[in-house]
Amino acid sequence: MKKNLLIVALLIISLITGCSSVQNAQDTSVGDNGSIILATTTSTRDSGLLDYILPDFEEKTGIEVKVVAVGTGAALQKGRDGDADVLLVHAKPSEEQFVEEGHGLKRYDVMYNDFVIVGPKEDSANIHAEAANDVVKGFQTIAESESTFVSRGDDSGTHKKEKSIWENAGIQPEGSWYLSSGSGMGDTLKIADEKQAYTMTDRATYLNLKDKLNLDILVEKDEMLFNQYGVIPVNPDKNENINNGGAQEFIDWLLSEDIQKMIGEYGKDKFGMPLFTPNYNK
Amino acid sequence: MDIEIKNLKKYFGTKMILDIEELKFKKNIITGIIGPNGAGKSTLINILAGLDKEYQGSITYNKEKFNDSMYLDITLVFQKPYLLNRKVYEDVAYPLKIRKLKKSVVKEKTNEILKELGIYHLRDQKSTQLSGGEAQKVSLARAVIIEPELILLDEPTSSIDEDSISTLERVLKEYNKEYNTTIIIITHDIEQAYRLCDEIIFLKNGRVEDKDGLF
Amino acid sequence: MDYILQGLKEGILLLFKLDKELYRIIFLSVAVSSTATALSSFLAIPIGVYLGIKRFRLKGLFSRILYTFMSIPSVVVGLLVAISLSRRGPLGSLQLLYTPTAMIIAQTILVFPLALGLVYNLSKNRGKEIEKIGLTLGARRFDVIILIVRELKIYLFINVITVFSRAISEVGAVMIVGGNIKGHTRVITTSIAMFNSMGSYSRAIALGLVLLLISFLINSIIYSYNKED
Repeated sequence: MKKNLLIVALLIISLITGCSSVQNAQDTSVGDNGSIILATTTSTRDSGLLDYILPDFEEKTGIEVKVVAVGTGAALQKGRDGDADVLLVHAKPSEEQFVEEGHGLKRYDVMYNDFVIVGPKEDSANIHAEAANDVVKGFQTIAESESTFVSRGDDSGTHKKEKSIWENAGIQPEGSWYLSSGSGMGDTLKIADEKQAYTMTDRATYLNLKDKLNLDILVEKDEMLFNQYGVIPVNPDKNENINNGGAQEFIDWLLSEDIQKMIGEYGKDKFGMPLFTPNYNK
Repeated sequence: MDIEIKNLKKYFGTKMILDIEELKFKKNIITGIIGPNGAGKSTLINILAGLDKEYQGSITYNKEKFNDSMYLDITLVFQKPYLLNRKVYEDVAYPLKIRKLKKSVVKEKTNEILKELGIYHLRDQKSTQLSGGEAQKVSLARAVIIEPELILLDEPTSSIDEDSISTLERVLKEYNKEYNTTIIIITHDIEQAYRLCDEIIFLKNGRVEDKDGLF
Repeated sequence: MDYILQGLKEGILLLFKLDKELYRIIFLSVAVSSTATALSSFLAIPIGVYLGIKRFRLKGLFSRILYTFMSIPSVVVGLLVAISLSRRGPLGSLQLLYTPTAMIIAQTILVFPLALGLVYNLSKNRGKEIEKIGLTLGARRFDVIILIVRELKIYLFINVITVFSRAISEVGAVMIVGGNIKGHTRVITTSIAMFNSMGSYSRAIALGLVLLLISFLINSIIYSYNKED
C-alpha cells in the first residue's frame, strides 16, 4: 500500500515538474521535453489503448502526452499546420505522401488492427451468409438492398478505408440509406445501433463498446480490412514550438520491445483477443 | 350601490394606513373624499375597487361581500390614465368586447360615448399621441361605457386642463342622474368637491375625521 | 496565418456560390431552432404571464429556481433527452434519436426555462399594473392574460427572439441527440465543430459567418424595438 502511494506521489511530482517546465520552455528556450502533442485517431483513444500504455511513458520520461484524438485527415492537417509534435495514424498512402512533402521526418510501422462490418442481429440484407469474409460483396449486397449504412464521413482513416472499398465494389454510395455521421467511431457506432444500421468499424472500438450495442460482427478477416498504423514525427522546421526531442523519445519508446509487447497484450484479458498486433520491423 | 365598511384596518408592514370603524357610502349619489397626502385615500379606493384584498374588516356592496363578478359593475379611473396600446376607438370599445356584445352594438355605443366626451375626432389616434386631458377623457369613456353601478375616481382631474375638467364633471353628473350611478371621487380640489359632490368625507391619517351631509 | 485568410476567402466564396450542402445545414438550423422557439414560447407565454401576476407561496424561491434553470447547460439537456429516446430508454420505441424531431424536443426543453423565465420576469414587473386596468374594465382571468400579452407584445417578441438566438447558437444538445448526420441532422453549430476537427476550415468559417450574421440580425431587431420604446 505504502509503495503504491509512493509511486503515485512520484508520478504526480513528475507530472507537476513536467508541466511547469513546459511553461518555462515557452518563456525561455525551445526543445524542452516537458510535453508533446500527439495527434491521433479516435480509434486509439476510444479503444482504450492509449490509456493503457501512456502512463508508462509519462512515468519513464516525465514527458506529458497531450492527446488530440481526431480523424486521420484532421490529424495529418494538424501535422501540416505544425499544431502537433507527433502523429499516430492509419492511412498509409496519405502518411507516405505527408512524409514525401516534407511535413514529417520519417514514417514507422507500429501495429495493425482490422476493420469489421457490423450490423443488426437480424441482418436483413443477409450479408453474413452471403459474404462473411468478402467485404466487397458485403458492400454490394448492402447497396443493392438499400439497407441503412452509417459512414464516418469525417475524412478519417476509417472513412478513407471505407471509401476505397466502395470504389473497389464499383459503387458510388448515395441516397437516403447512406448516412454520413461526421463523428468519431464511438458516436458512429451508437448511431448505427439506434438506427439498426450497418457500419464499418475498427475491431478495437467495437469490442470496447460491444456490451452497450445491439450490433454483431457480420463481415471480417478480409485482407482488405487490415489497418496499418504508423507513427511520424512532425518536421521541426515548421515552427519553433515543435518539440522534436520529445517526439523522438516517444517514438523510440513506442517501438521498444517492451511496449510492442504491451500493445500485443492489450485487450486479451477483457475481450479474449488482442485488439492490436504490433509489427514494428527493425 | 350601497357600500358599508366596518372595522376596516390596513397595514403596510407595521405601519397602519387605514383604520375606519364605520363608513357608509350611500347609493345613487356622488361622494367626495378629501384629505392631505398620505391620508390613505388611494388605498381605500383600491380596496373598494377589489384591487387590494389584503385588509382586515368587512366591506359589503348592497349587503354582499365582494366577489369576482362585481368587477363587471365597478370601475376605477386612475389619476394617471393608463391607455391600452391600441387606437382610441379600440381602447374605449374594449370593455364591451370582452363582455361579448354584438359588433353592431359595440360600434354604436362606442361612437356615442366618444361623441359625448368630445373625442370622436380622436378615434383613430394612438394613445401615445394624446394630451393629458384627452387621455383622461378616453379613460373615463372606457369606464362609463359599460354603465357601471359604481364609478371610483382617484384624483382624475389633478393634472389636466380646465376644458377637460368641465367635460369630465359634466359627464359624471349626467351618469349619476341618468343611470343612478353611484360615484366616489378623490379630489384635492375643494371647489370641485363642492361643485360635484352630494357628500364629502374628510380622511386624515387613515381615519374618517369628519362626515358632512349637504354643504 | 495564411490558412485563416485563405479559409475566410474560401468561406465567403462558398456562401456566394450558394453551396448546396451549406445552405441545407443553414436551413435545418433555422427550421429546428425556430420550431423549438415557437413551441417553447407557445407554452411559456401564457404560463409565464399567469405566474408573473399570481401571488403564491414561495414565489421568491420559485423565481430563483427558474432563473437557475434559464442557464441550464445544453449538454445536460442533450444527455437527458438522448437517454430517454435511446432504444434502451423509456421512449425508445418511438425511434426518434438522431432525427430532427429529437433535436426539436431537446432544444424545446433547453430553451423553455429561458422563455418562461423571461416572460415571468416581464409579467412580474409590468403585468400587475395591466391586470389592475383589466380588472377595473371587467376583464376575467383569461381576458387579463390576453390583455397583458397584447400590451407587452413588443417585449414578448424581443423575448422570443432572445430564445431563438440561444437555440440556434447552442451545440451541445443537438450534437448529442442529432448525431450530426449529413443531410439529416447536421446544423450550423455541429458542422462548425466537425469541419474544424476535419481541418476543413473554409466551411467552418463560412458557417461561423452565417451564425454571426444571424446574431447580428437578431440584435438589430431588438435594438430597433428598444429605440422605439
